[in-house]
Parts: sequence; C-alpha cells; structure tokens
Amino acid sequence: METDIIPFETEMNRGFLQVLVLVLLEREMYGYAMVKKMEEKKFALEENTLYPLLRRLEKKGLIEGKWDVTEDRPRKFYIITEDGRDVRAGLLKIWQRQTAIMNRLLKENPNV
Amino acid sequence: MSRRLETYLEEISHYLGTGKERLEILTEIKSHIMEKASQEFEEVTEEAIEQIIDTYGSPRQVAEKYLEDDQIIAPALKGHLLRYTIILFTLHFGLILISFISRTNMLVLPFFYIPRIDSFQALFYLPMAFGFDLGMVGIILYFVTHSRKEIKLPWPKLKRDWQKSLEKRETESSLLPFFLMLLGYGVLVWLYWQSGTVFFKTIDFRNPQSLFTPAASTWYSLGLLALLGIGIAAYAVKFFTVSEWVNLSRSGCQLVILGIIINRPMENPFIEFTHLDLQIIADIVIAVAAVWIAFDFLKSLVILGIKTLRKKAPSPHEGFEKERSR
Repeated sequence: METDIIPFETEMNRGFLQVLVLVLLEREMYGYAMVKKMEEKKFALEENTLYPLLRRLEKKGLIEGKWDVTEDRPRKFYIITEDGRDVRAGLLKIWQRQTAIMNRLLKENPNV
Repeated sequence: MSRRLETYLEEISHYLGTGKERLEILTEIKSHIMEKASQEFEEVTEEAIEQIIDTYGSPRQVAEKYLEDDQIIAPALKGHLLRYTIILFTLHFGLILISFISRTNMLVLPFFYIPRIDSFQALFYLPMAFGFDLGMVGIILYFVTHSRKEIKLPWPKLKRDWQKSLEKRETESSLLPFFLMLLGYGVLVWLYWQSGTVFFKTIDFRNPQSLFTPAASTWYSLGLLALLGIGIAAYAVKFFTVSEWVNLSRSGCQLVILGIIINRPMENPFIEFTHLDLQIIADIVIAVAAVWIAFDFLKSLVILGIKTLRKKAPSPHEGFEKERSR
C-alpha cells in the first residue's frame, strides 16, 4: 500500500505558505488576487488555508488588513508591516540555509 | 444574501463558538466567497454561490482552520490532566469512604461536598466524582494554558515500584493456591449449610455455638461468603486474562458488598457479651477490611492510569535502554 503524501505535504506547506504570503504582500493585495497570482505560478493556494493564515499573520502584526468599501463589494486588502519584513528576512535566511544543507546532502547521497 | 450562503455562514458560526472575532471572520468568509463567485461567473446567482461553497470545504473544516491556534489545553499540559485527576480522585475517594463509614455528610472547602450515601448510591456517585475531578483539573489547566505564562506545574513522580507492582499483579493465577482457596471456601459453605453460620463462639465442632443471633449469623455469614466468593471468582478469571480491570472489578464489587453490610447494621447481633466488647472489635475488623479493599481499588485505578499514560508517551529511559542494548 502506498503512503498517502497529502498529510506530509500539508505539514511541509505550513511554514512555506507563511513565507510565501510575506513575500507576496510586499505590495497590497486581496485574498483572491493572491490565489490567482499563485495559480499563474502553477501553485495551488487553497482558499480555506490562505484566509485563516492571513488572519493569524494579521493578529501577530506581521501583515496589516484594511477593508476597501469604495466598490460595490467590500474587499479586504493586506500588506506587510515593518515587523513582517523583519520576520520575513529571518525566515528567508533559514529557508536558504535549509535548501543549501539539503542540496549538499542530496549530492552526498545520489541514490535518494 | 443568498439563502445557501446564509445557512453556510450560520453553520460555520456554530463551530466558531462565541469568540470575539467570530463576526469579523464570518464577514471575511462571505467577502471571499462573493469575490470568487463574481470573478469566476458572469453573474452571481444562487447556483454560482452554491458551486463556490461546494469547493470551499465543510463548515466544520473551515471553522477548525480558524481555530487552530486556540487550544483548550496546551499539549505540554495534557499529561497533567490524567495524573492530577488520579491524585484528586484518590483524595476524593478517601473522603467518600470516610463519609460512608462514619455515615455523615462532609464538606471540604473549596469544592468537595460529600453527602451521606448508601452503597447503591455510591455506585453512581463514584463515576460522577471522577467526572467532577476531571472537569476541575481541566478547568485549571484551561486557565493555565490561556494565561500564556511560563507556569511550571509540579509533576509528582509516582514511585518506580509501580512497575514491579504491575508485573506482580499481572501474573497468571496458579493452580495450587486456587485449589486451596476452593477447599477453604468449600469448608465455609459446608459449615454454613450445617450450622447456619461461619462465626463460632468456640472451636468445639461437636457442639457448635454461633457467635451471633440467627438473623445476624445469616447476614454476616452470607456477607463474608460473598466477599470471599468474589475474590476466588476474580482469581479464576485471571487464569484466562491478566488484565488489571479484573482486580478493579473485584475490589469494586467487594466494596459494594461491604457497603451493604455497613449500611445495614444488626441491633444486638451477639448472643451474649463476654468480658470483651465484641462490637468494637467487629467495627475495627470491618473498618480495616474496608480500608484494605478501598486501597486495592485505588491501586488498580492508579495502575490503569499509569498504563494509559505509558501507552501515550513511552519513558525516555526506554529509548536509552534500547540504544544501549544495540
């Protein structure tokens, strides 16, 4: 029987999505636009994962949300905060270091 | 607003509970669904909204994603829940026993009220007391979790001897003691059959004289035979299974029998009083038996609790031992 990869992928995506959102929100965007943007990059960003994540990041003060009610339909726009930029810089360093370690290990173990 | 969307949001609201952010979360979800419907369909119709909702996830799943950070009890404190409950229940049980033997109500501040109960009521009261203790500990751990402070709760170490005790209690029954028990029990039953009692004033079996009046003889003899019978039956069951539940059931049944005996005392049960005050001696014997059996009952509860904890989290020493043995 093959092991189901989805739970592992969900676990792996947890950290990745945080960094991804912090990178995307360098410029102001609303949720659906972020989903579409990532679709263009061939990455399926699930809405029911993205929106709670946006809320958590907002609560932690890493992003800022503002309702735009000028159009027919209210939209919530998000943008990264200064604290968010600091955290993002730290997370990107970690991510780069992890990638470098993994690449080294894969070179040492060509059978993996 | 679309009827389907309204129902969907109501269901999500139900799972979100009464948190202060509930309304804002619902507004956000509504906005996301409407946005997607308007972008993906030419017109935002009831069918369009229905299609979007179908792919959005079940109300419970959606609500859970928003509640991921809101834990009732922090994972680091979950082990405390069972351990503290066992300790509190041990104390509670002891008080119930004292109240039961002394036949009085008992109020121990801040939260123990133990009413005067008979053995039948005790059967229902004990699980209720356990549920109360579990809830009490749960509430405290909930507040500790939500205080977000680094509170280090004490972790009382239960002696390692429990391991030995566990192994000893889990050995299978052997035939010789079992036959000796059956033989002794048979003799007692035979005596009761012949003389209507198992309590004698003298050891002269040619002229047996009962210690008690006929009514008291029947009552106390049957009580003793029932207590011993349960013990032997439990020993027999352990030929087939070594579960600690057998010990727990045995002590529980014996406690109930003892409770019935204590709750229905006979007036002037002795045929004649000698120079000894037999009533006091009898009371002491019954009290010692009650404490002994109650202790055994608690021991079984604690062992079962420890086994549950071990199943959940193996001791770090076990890992080291495995490493060393490699």
